[in-house]
Amino acid sequence: MSSAIGQRQPKLDAPDKATGRTVYGHDVRLPGMLHGQSLYSRYPHARILNVDISRALKLPGVKAIITAADNPPTKFGYGKDNTPLKGDVVRSLRDEVAAVAAIDPDIAAEALELIEVEYEPLEALFDAAAALKDGAPLIHAERGTNRFSHFNYTHGDLEQGERDSDVIAEADYELPYVAHAALETSVVIASFDHRGHLTLYSTTQIPFLLQRDLSEALGLEGSDVRIIQTAIGGAFGRGLDIYPFEPIAALLARKAGQPVRLSFSRHEEFLAAPVRQPVKAHIRAGATRDGQITFRDVYALLDIGAYVSWGSVTPLVMMETTASLYRVPHVRFTADCVYTNNPITGAVRGYGNPQSTFWVETTMDRLAEALQLDPIDFRLRNANRPNEETPQGLKITSCGLKECLEAVAARADVEVGSWKMEVGKRVASKSPVSNLQSPTSNLKRGIGFASTLNVGGGARIYRSDGCGATVKIDDFGHVSLITGSTEIGQGSETVLAQIVAEVLGVKIEDINVLNSDTDVKPWDVGVHASRTTFIAGNAAQLAALDARQQVFETASQMLGVAPDQFAMRGGDVVTLSGDKSIELGKVARARHFRAGGQIISGEGFYDPPTQLVDKDSYKGNISAAYGFGAQMAEVEVDTETGHVRVLRLVCANDVGRAINPMAVEGQMEGGAQMGLGYALTEELIVKEGRVLNPDFHDYRLFTSADMPKLETIIVETDDPQGPFGAKGVGEMGGTPTAAAIANAIYDAIGVRLTTVPMTPERVLRALIEKEDCDTC
Amino acid sequence: MAKFHLTLTVNDETHELLIDPRRTLLNVLRNDLNLRGVHRGCDSGECGACTVLVNGSPISSCMRLAADCDGADVLTVEGVAANGELHPVQRALVDHGGIQCGFCTPGMIMASIALLKENPRPTEDEVRFSLAGNLCRCTGYKKIVEAVLSVAEAVKP
Amino acid sequence: MKPFDYFAPQTLSNAIELLTRYNGEARVVAGGTDLLLKLKAGTLAPQAVINIKRIPELQGLSEGFNSHLTLGALTTLEEIRRSPIVREQYPALAHAASTMASMQIRNLATVGGNLCNAAPSADLAPILIAFGSIAHVTGPNGDRMLPLEIFFVGPGVSDLKRGELLVSIEVPRPIGPATYLKCSPRRCMDIAVVGVGLVIHLDNNLCTDARVILGAVAPTPLRARRAEAELIGGPLNPDRIDRAAKIAAEESKPIDDMRGTAWYRRQMIEVLTRRGLQHLIVM
Repeated sequence: MSSAIGQRQPKLDAPDKATGRTVYGHDVRLPGMLHGQSLYSRYPHARILNVDISRALKLPGVKAIITAADNPPTKFGYGKDNTPLKGDVVRSLRDEVAAVAAIDPDIAAEALELIEVEYEPLEALFDAAAALKDGAPLIHAERGTNRFSHFNYTHGDLEQGERDSDVIAEADYELPYVAHAALETSVVIASFDHRGHLTLYSTTQIPFLLQRDLSEALGLEGSDVRIIQTAIGGAFGRGLDIYPFEPIAALLARKAGQPVRLSFSRHEEFLAAPVRQPVKAHIRAGATRDGQITFRDVYALLDIGAYVSWGSVTPLVMMETTASLYRVPHVRFTADCVYTNNPITGAVRGYGNPQSTFWVETTMDRLAEALQLDPIDFRLRNANRPNEETPQGLKITSCGLKECLEAVAARADVEVGSWKMEVGKRVASKSPVSNLQSPTSNLKRGIGFASTLNVGGGARIYRSDGCGATVKIDDFGHVSLITGSTEIGQGSETVLAQIVAEVLGVKIEDINVLNSDTDVKPWDVGVHASRTTFIAGNAAQLAALDARQQVFETASQMLGVAPDQFAMRGGDVVTLSGDKSIELGKVARARHFRAGGQIISGEGFYDPPTQLVDKDSYKGNISAAYGFGAQMAEVEVDTETGHVRVLRLVCANDVGRAINPMAVEGQMEGGAQMGLGYALTEELIVKEGRVLNPDFHDYRLFTSADMPKLETIIVETDDPQGPFGAKGVGEMGGTPTAAAIANAIYDAIGVRLTTVPMTPERVLRALIEKEDCDTC
Repeated sequence: MAKFHLTLTVNDETHELLIDPRRTLLNVLRNDLNLRGVHRGCDSGECGACTVLVNGSPISSCMRLAADCDGADVLTVEGVAANGELHPVQRALVDHGGIQCGFCTPGMIMASIALLKENPRPTEDEVRFSLAGNLCRCTGYKKIVEAVLSVAEAVKP
Repeated sequence: MKPFDYFAPQTLSNAIELLTRYNGEARVVAGGTDLLLKLKAGTLAPQAVINIKRIPELQGLSEGFNSHLTLGALTTLEEIRRSPIVREQYPALAHAASTMASMQIRNLATVGGNLCNAAPSADLAPILIAFGSIAHVTGPNGDRMLPLEIFFVGPGVSDLKRGELLVSIEVPRPIGPATYLKCSPRRCMDIAVVGVGLVIHLDNNLCTDARVILGAVAPTPLRARRAEAELIGGPLNPDRIDRAAKIAAEESKPIDDMRGTAWYRRQMIEVLTRRGLQHLIVM
């Protein structure tokens, strides 16, 4: 039987998804279930003078209405600054003032219109820099400042770095709000049993943390809250925190005495779900004539919105990209996370890394150009290597950055060390089919590169970075893997089943993965930080090994052969000598159909050998492994309209080992689509706290017709601590894309863009400014 | 407001329903007929997750009043697998890894079936153009397009 | 959505009678792709919704009198995109339809809806106006025919009077080569940032007629008459094309919105008009 590892294994849940059988949050119907809706604020910053629900309460079909008066006393959220409903002050247009549960959604909507709220508008802050000024109105008065947090990381001696530099590159960057835009909108169903215990059907990515956070927010015991995760129609970081709609659904359900579902419309999803925080950054970096990076100095100003969520921790990731990926002897990274009256921001796939990789990797090209060095060669000279510890304390074990860079360069027919950037060298050979009828004379081609580093062996941002697993073998030789981890579409169920199949020598079809109920599954931090294959994979492997040991012990008793003389193959337990074999189910039956019998149940808990970063120096080895990658983008720019068409995107990632190459490619390709959108089309436009494009017409995802030719290259480096050598890959796919495209645009037309998305209008403006400048 | 008497044939089964005329086809399919494989992704005709075939044509069921479909023949993702065998498009999406979170999948399947019925051997560009109204946030579309093309190639020219 | 009465009349007279009875408080639903958005958003709350999909006179496209193309108001965008007659005789119209929305929406959305919705960015309007199309309208006071060019009154407002319905669009045979260019961030699914519909007639290299219609740069689709005048009467050499393109940009009256600034829209009118004309002279 061939190894389960390395198989292009179709996802176990795919046939049900293909036939419409899968039950998503929107598909859950409980007896007596009501429909909840929230009333959002009319002002971005205002005092609430009065909330009158009397008319709404009289509407037939309305079963419960809650306001701030129904809030439990505890605040929740990462900064413990949020409440379910807002009572005294609203701080954002997405603030919930009241919520209704009714027998159908139309009645709930009608009831919201009958709720009368009196506001006294307050001066609002929409700009992070303005919010930091002395005398600025305070978003959370009790804090005394709008600065939520300040980060200050250094290593080396910046002044020495400046002195050592022969060339310097410097630029300002401005990066926008981005939405997760998962195809399934946020949804939650809350239901209480007669004991007052809450069951929450949820699309969360952090079931155990949500269990804790929600019980605190509601004044319940943690054990009184059970989270059942439905099938999740995309997450991408959206579900990494508790958000008001979850306690609101619970409060409505408790008040109405009936289950309540709260599901977002698409419009609401764009307004009220957390988004990627906009950043303004300044970077200054230097290098020596022989191509050694000397220093990097970055300041980032993050607008985290009206309440704090995990977006406020993204500087931890930004500083990794700034201080590692390459060898940089002198680094300073400072950042401020600031409250404003804008939308709330949270974690989005990449978690600060797409932003910092954009400024780091476009600055790398500026330095390479100043040095007249091939940008690939320049990167290779400075790249992190295997088994080195970075000054920040990242202990790099396996590292395929060099291989990734060389692989994408080879696909671009670039011989490392011989390529010189020559702006506008490449021209289009034929006019593409387009609505613009671009003549070839107006189409300029260019290629660009960018690298990336991402945690690939967990990320210790809580005290635990662990995951538990149980492997149970039943009377029929079928295996159940009960894992703490969460399937969000990425394919973790299948990869974990492959790991268990490999250890137990059973077919993957004989494995059932249970991963959706906090009352059943063991602890896990959550699905984030590209950690599941590595962490949950190690846990599943440990549990399977434990179960296998129990199988061998029983087989030993049955056959009189020493326990270490067995193997498992093809659903059978066989002796190493090959002369005896028993069916796995028979071993399981023999183990428990007897006096004093036992079941086969293996357990594993894996918590990686990593550290929380030091709270002052930010140093420490946050992950047990690091993933690397590089991309090459080839673009065609219409010099009269500014349209950028990406012709090819070549993506290479060091994933340690691909347990399921098809799933790895899926992560890389899907990441690339998000990266392409970030680079060229996606921006949540927020003016004075208001989202102007809360729909898919104007929040533009790449469609199938817009995608370039995508090429993926899997680089395997066999990580010493990964399960079967594997590392995480979930977030790296889109991280370097915007930088690679920006560098390609420069190669094509000589314009360096410092903001995304690089829309036609922005490209054209930059091109005209450059031409004006060239002729002046 | 008067209720509307709707006759609808869905996946070869005819239903008589009394509905509020405000209801969309999507809403009736999901809530009255329990066809929850028809997904609501945007409710405004921009994402394709609710694609069904009405009288053979793929439409966004969220943008159609159910009453406007009186007498129509509707095919949803629940109706395309025959005798327990996956439809070739479903099989190909599973085997090529074209499904991740799966929320776009039913709409993607219905759009692909409609395309292949009209044009059994489309070019890659024709597949990409025809599926442009089916947003996917997970896959980057590559494996979806490959899956559809693999079904096309299996058709004898 | 607010409650409404629902009707599905089978005859034109029945539909007109209903529209008249509700005296401006009824809305017609054809494809529904614009109306449903407004009903769901609550920006429209009519007392009645009248589904006109069952009225035979409004259906389909056909080649008729004088080889005119008749587009029944209910002709869907996908029917236009795929129609052999349109692809052969009016390829620019088929292309304009193909740039719109998705296959699923093009199967619902109708030419009548696209025009009666009267969005300044409506993709079918510039090219249909450029062809010299005539709108056939019927109502309580009988039928009337009006040039499509004057059908549009303002953003979201057409010339339809109370109780009137658009029956069809009569599209004459093109006077010469035609094209529709569209500027939008993506290839599909986008609303036009600008659109340009062009038709010219060349007589031995001399331009004897030209139509330059601009979309999304004024409250209604805009006929750039000065640009047309610049083209007519002379050979279409690069200088003349450049001048006409610049004039078209000057004639446009765009605004800033989140899809583009007035500056960018003007730039794009010039570029697309020039490109389109260059394309037409070699067709």
